[in-house]
Amino acid sequence: MSAHRLSSGGLVDRSRSLGFSFDGLDLKGYEGDTLASALLANDQLLVGRSFKYHRPRGIVTAGSAEPNALVMIGKGARTEPNTRATVAELYNGLVATSQNRWPSLKYDIGSLNSLLSPFLGAGFYYKTFMWPAAFWEKVYEPFIRRAAGLGKAVMEADPDRYEKAWAHCDLLVVGAGPAGLMAALTAARAGLRVILADEGFRLGGSLLSERVSIGGTAPSTFVETILSELAGFPWVTLMPRTTVFGWYDDNVFGAVEKVQKHIALPSLDLPVERLWRIVARRAIMATGAEERPLVFGGNDRPGVMTAGAGRTYLNRYGVAVGRKVAVFTNGGSGYQAARDLAAQGIDVAAVIDGRPAAGDNLPNGIRLIQGGGVVKVKGRHRVGGLLVERSGFEESIDCDALLMSGGWSPIIHLACQRGAKPYWSDEKQAFLAPDVGRQLLPAGSASGLSGIGACLRDGVAKALSALASLDLTATSPDVPDVEGEYDASFAPLWYVPGARDKAFVDFQNDVHVKDLGLAQREGFGHIEHTKRYTTSGMATDQGKLGNVNATGIIAGMKGVSPAEIGVTTFRPFYTPVSFGAMAGTSRGEHSRPVRRSPLHGWAKKNGAVFVEAGLWHRSSWFPRDGEKGWRQSVDREVMNARTNVGLCDVSTLGKIEVFGNDAAEFLNRIYSNAFLKLPVGRARYGLMLREDGIVYDDGTTSRLAENHFFVTTTTAYAAEVMTHMEYCAQVLWPDLDVRFVSSSDQWAQMSLVGPKARLVLQQVVEDDVSNEAFPFLAVREVTLKGGLRARLFRISFSGELAYELAVPAGYGEAVADALMEAGRPHDICAYGVEALNVLRIEKGHVTHNELNGTTTPDDVGLGKMFSVNKPDFIGKRLSSRFGLTAADRLQLVGLKPVDKAKEIKAGAHLLKEGAAPSMTNDQGHVTSACFSPALGHPIALALLKSGRERFGEKIVVWDKLRGEEFVAEVCSPVFIDPDSQKLHQ
Amino acid sequence: MASLIHCPHCGSRPKEEFSIRGDASLVRPSPSASDEEWHRYVHIRDNPKGRYKEHWHHAFGCRRWLVVERDNFTHEVFSVTDAAEAAKAVQA
Amino acid sequence: MNYVHRHVLEDLITGFEGSSNPHHLAVLKRPTVFSVLARPGREADARNVLANLQGVSVRISGPGEWLVVSEDVAIDSLARTLQDSGTGLFDAVDQSDGRVVLRLSGPQVRKILAKCLAVDLHADAFPVGASAATQCCHAAANLARTDQDTFELVVSRSFAGFVFEEILEMGREFAMTAGFSAG
Repeated sequence: MSAHRLSSGGLVDRSRSLGFSFDGLDLKGYEGDTLASALLANDQLLVGRSFKYHRPRGIVTAGSAEPNALVMIGKGARTEPNTRATVAELYNGLVATSQNRWPSLKYDIGSLNSLLSPFLGAGFYYKTFMWPAAFWEKVYEPFIRRAAGLGKAVMEADPDRYEKAWAHCDLLVVGAGPAGLMAALTAARAGLRVILADEGFRLGGSLLSERVSIGGTAPSTFVETILSELAGFPWVTLMPRTTVFGWYDDNVFGAVEKVQKHIALPSLDLPVERLWRIVARRAIMATGAEERPLVFGGNDRPGVMTAGAGRTYLNRYGVAVGRKVAVFTNGGSGYQAARDLAAQGIDVAAVIDGRPAAGDNLPNGIRLIQGGGVVKVKGRHRVGGLLVERSGFEESIDCDALLMSGGWSPIIHLACQRGAKPYWSDEKQAFLAPDVGRQLLPAGSASGLSGIGACLRDGVAKALSALASLDLTATSPDVPDVEGEYDASFAPLWYVPGARDKAFVDFQNDVHVKDLGLAQREGFGHIEHTKRYTTSGMATDQGKLGNVNATGIIAGMKGVSPAEIGVTTFRPFYTPVSFGAMAGTSRGEHSRPVRRSPLHGWAKKNGAVFVEAGLWHRSSWFPRDGEKGWRQSVDREVMNARTNVGLCDVSTLGKIEVFGNDAAEFLNRIYSNAFLKLPVGRARYGLMLREDGIVYDDGTTSRLAENHFFVTTTTAYAAEVMTHMEYCAQVLWPDLDVRFVSSSDQWAQMSLVGPKARLVLQQVVEDDVSNEAFPFLAVREVTLKGGLRARLFRISFSGELAYELAVPAGYGEAVADALMEAGRPHDICAYGVEALNVLRIEKGHVTHNELNGTTTPDDVGLGKMFSVNKPDFIGKRLSSRFGLTAADRLQLVGLKPVDKAKEIKAGAHLLKEGAAPSMTNDQGHVTSACFSPALGHPIALALLKSGRERFGEKIVVWDKLRGEEFVAEVCSPVFIDPDSQKLHQ
Repeated sequence: MASLIHCPHCGSRPKEEFSIRGDASLVRPSPSASDEEWHRYVHIRDNPKGRYKEHWHHAFGCRRWLVVERDNFTHEVFSVTDAAEAAKAVQA
Repeated sequence: MNYVHRHVLEDLITGFEGSSNPHHLAVLKRPTVFSVLARPGREADARNVLANLQGVSVRISGPGEWLVVSEDVAIDSLARTLQDSGTGLFDAVDQSDGRVVLRLSGPQVRKILAKCLAVDLHADAFPVGASAATQCCHAAANLARTDQDTFELVVSRSFAGFVFEEILEMGREFAMTAGFSAG
């Protein structure tokens, strides 16, 4: 045993023991542990295998930058790969499994890659797996995917819930360490709405790892005092377990709260994670600093970790990382680690300082090697001693763990996520946050400060500064004195020469110093190129630990300052965010709204099969017992409407009430046909064009009163037409006196269709609906028997005598029931959108199949609806363009197969007989097709070059997709009642 | 993740409530304007980078068309006004 | 003939909640809802007229546009009142069947709504009496604060089932119950 739990101390609750397992081994930890601290307490140094070389790896950090200790947590569908053990909160029953090893963590076949490593350098994949090309998909990629990589996602659906939420505050404080706590306290006392978020499950940040005295108390006591005051303010929200991962436009922050990730069986009434969008007037980035590893031979051996991590395990979790610990440092952090270890009675093997002269003191009896460097770490699965070189002499040091410190990098990600570049400070030997304005201020060690006292004071100062920028003032809280601080200064030491083993820069991606050199030699010298070529700084940790070292090393190779090299672009997310959190509740049925017609219940009752049409669920057809397949039902519905009477739900049409003295003028300008003289009580079919002369949408518009119109749109374009009308009224013609509002949802609208429609209708409607009293295109508010008021329109999409009856939506079902009841003696039957479509194809009416964004009114046979007399309307001017008036434009025609058994399919192309299929020979295409029960054979609508001149011509219907080719006759698109006599009967 | 637009009628709202139409400087030509003018109005669009006026529609809010003047690279928003007011000013 | 009026959420609500939880979603059974559109230049006069109507709540849906909502005044009666008082000032459209009014209440109701919409509901930013047109659970909605811990949402009928289920999903954390308003 080398790593072990101390008999006392730390912030874990020793009275609450937690059982967990790692690779099947049952282990114990305490409440307050992370998985990492519990593993160390059980001397489990080896926790994973590296990405490429499958080298044994251990825990390097105590926080979210951890590159090595990635494990799978959970069982079955709840398995989550690539979880950092250093931030995973321990819970009873936690099941953890190591990754990227086979057959076991200890005996991993993949580690043979280490022997092949001379061939596995940077750019290896690009150079090796080039040819033959066919091998890529079948051989190379599967091989690489198996050999390299992190954890595996499970294939089962995630059983847990996720949520998304918005939050608003005056001040967001990111990080609850010394600077963050004081910033939050300062603003909270001034009455501001404060959110204090921290990724840790216990607020306090680095204070929880320190042994200083703050105002005479332990740091954890100091933290509790502040937190309890903050918790007493109703305007303060404390958010532990919440990582602020991104800074977005307008000072909105993205954060993910781990609500139930520390619970074995999460409650289904709560999300496991909640994604927050936090709108903050001001924010303070008190995110702390990351300790840099040193780059030396064997720096990835399990048992080597950063000095700060070693101190955190020791002071916060009561876990010593070894029994005889060596320290390798270039600054004060290593000395403090040695002092902390010594204070707990842990043997310190030696402190090796890369600097020729140290500026700090060690407790008596600890050996100091100045100007030395570790060149090799002995052992395989754990540290078994060191080889240290100083002035050309080598020395073996006996130890079972090594703490390293290569200096500190402020955590500046958030400030750099919107394009601003960090700048290099020679003084701090670090990249510092750029000035991004008053909305986001770095504070404490995130702004390059060191020392707890300095951070406490800076937290206050930055809060005051944020308040001042909101024209608010506050009183400074008293900042207590801090005793026992250490000198955290350090000297640059980017790379330790003389390495006898690989010296890793990026642990997670197995990038070592030689890879960086190769990238420079092969022309990938720019830091962004180096990243892509070597993979340094990629994957889940995005180079949190290694990037600054990589920059320092490349700078050293080129003999320039790190300022000239820079760093790669910082992008959200700071730490990985699960897809579940980003989806929130928008999964499956919840991913988009469903819209239901007011007649949905009626349709369901009548046995409808529903079809999704945009967001709507529309009744498609109404099968009856004994009918085989949808066609049989649809044929019956169509024939019944043509011979008796049918009822169809058309409630989904867009409906807009238009008012104003200029309402008629407005409609006249947005439709291609004339509306000024539409009489009150009349409906008119209208065509809207786009400004380029192409048809936009169609529908009927009724004049209900002199200055009150009722516009209908197609179901698909309801929202678009409303938006278009608003643009026209507000932007194009703001001086017109016109206003409108959608009433789409107010009305249940049903189409009563067929020769017996009037008979049925008259039984329900009080008013006279005879042909004389209520002729074709009449519109009126009517009263239903019993007193219900309704709107009645005599319009037809089917070519039959037809009415559309609109009643307030809540009465829709009852009125539809009444119509069905009244129609029973007349053999009424319900029909759906399939039959609706067949009826309109037989009549040659167009829909968006024909109004497909390429056709003009003339193309679809509606040339007479283009008013040449109106001075101006949308689309008029460009309709006269050459091209839109060409003689060989595609025009709407009908098609009948010569062999009546042949079924025409929409999408098929049209060719002259004998012509080879080609773009040049293409004559047009089929837009709509169906079996016509009225004619007894398949028919189609098509767009054909100069089509109206070609009625009677035989043309080839060519459908390569379905392997069909046969001859059809071109005919008028109106297959039934060409003189429209039925409409007026 | 988020952008906010400060609607002059509704206040600060996320971009998801809006839809963008594009260049707000276009003025619809008169019916008698030249083919070239109409062609430019309907078909020709610059693709500038930087400060730019766009029409945004507050589709989930007041349903007003707005002129949003912003830097389309940094998304810094300089002003948001009701488009009808701007249109009246142009026509006056 | 007497026609039965059906509320669109009848299929989703099993009945009147005998005992509602502190967090409750009440669905108004037969509210009266009108869209009112002011004539240009008469916005202020129109607003004044609406403000003086008895038994109604006036919600902003845009500049010069309002939703007038009432639980007490019948549709026909409000239609007449608006007709009489609106001449020359505004036009009114009955939306009572086209809109669904949902009333959310409870001490943590803001936390539930924060999962549904992006408006800042702090009492300083959105006091009692405030209203806003906004997006709620992917749908267009009108939100109003009717009391410290009570909000009303007006949504289109065809979206109502979806929004209703979404809100209950967001309310699971607080064991939110739902039922038709007893009032």
